[in-house]
Amino acid sequence: MKTAFIILCLLVATHSMGRPISYVGGHTIMANSGPQSDGVYWHYTPNINYSLGLDYQRDKISDESFSSARLTYLINRKNTAKSQRNLYLKTGVGLNDSDNHFYALTGDWETRRVFAGFSATQTSGIGYDMFEQTLKVGIAPYLGAYGDFHTWLMVETKKNDMDDDRITYPVLRFFKGGALMEVGYHKKTDWNLHLMYRF
Amino acid sequence: MKKILLLSLFLSSTALQAAHHGTHDMADMDSMGDMHSHEGHIHEQMVDGKELAVDPQRFDQFMIGIESNAVAVVSVQGMVCDFCARGIEKTFGKDKRVSKIDVDLASGKVLLAFPVAADIDKADIEKKILNNGLNTSTIQIVGR
Repeated sequence: MKTAFIILCLLVATHSMGRPISYVGGHTIMANSGPQSDGVYWHYTPNINYSLGLDYQRDKISDESFSSARLTYLINRKNTAKSQRNLYLKTGVGLNDSDNHFYALTGDWETRRVFAGFSATQTSGIGYDMFEQTLKVGIAPYLGAYGDFHTWLMVETKKNDMDDDRITYPVLRFFKGGALMEVGYHKKTDWNLHLMYRF
Repeated sequence: MKKILLLSLFLSSTALQAAHHGTHDMADMDSMGDMHSHEGHIHEQMVDGKELAVDPQRFDQFMIGIESNAVAVVSVQGMVCDFCARGIEKTFGKDKRVSKIDVDLASGKVLLAFPVAADIDKADIEKKILNNGLNTSTIQIVGR
């Protein structure tokens, strides 16, 4: 049971980060570190409608590792002069065991000042299933030009049906150029760090 | 009382208009002889006759060192963060015809400079913007 739960958590560890599709020919590297696991996720965008990636996660307590292949498909995008809205379908499958897999519907709407995003993820392992919902909203306290240091104040809330407990916590997002860093803290899950670099 | 108020309003608006014309004339004199952002010059060089909405100071800064280049002013939709801007810079940076790039998040404008001899292919610019997940609303060519 514990191993299954670990695998399910590792499978969805990095997929909640934003910007899952880059520009055509662009690469993105993400790293995450938290009390439960550390991991790295890389994705490549061959076409503006989808990206392909590989993910590796290591559980800190059991020292188990888990790798998966991922596909993100852009279902719908709406660009306006001041905003962008996206709807994605994401899926991932374990490289060692294809019975471990997930699929998710995620979306976001963003202006230079305001961000709102959600995800609904169904994760399945051998004999186990987990459904998780997340919602994240944020505001930029100041507007910087391209190349400036940008800051976002965010709040994320998530709930899964395995422990049936909703957690809500603050997230700070910083980014400059192609680099992004997110730091979140909750007394239950402790500190979480996400790094992203696009090139 | 009403007449006095109307007269004061008229006089103050006339004074403001005169002040605006004064500034206009001085700027015209300053910008003679080269491609410059001031209205009187930039409008003469527009090929479609439309008004060019671009920050004059930013445009002037962009033109330093490339005065003989033509510039494509691209209005982009969906450009809300540095990741979008960076993608555009990288995509057009690979295009050898483009001599200089400027991305302005606040106005949603991208400036692309081309040497006079180079072709400016609007369809290609639109395609490259689309490959960044963004849309082009208008492209205006200045200096040709």
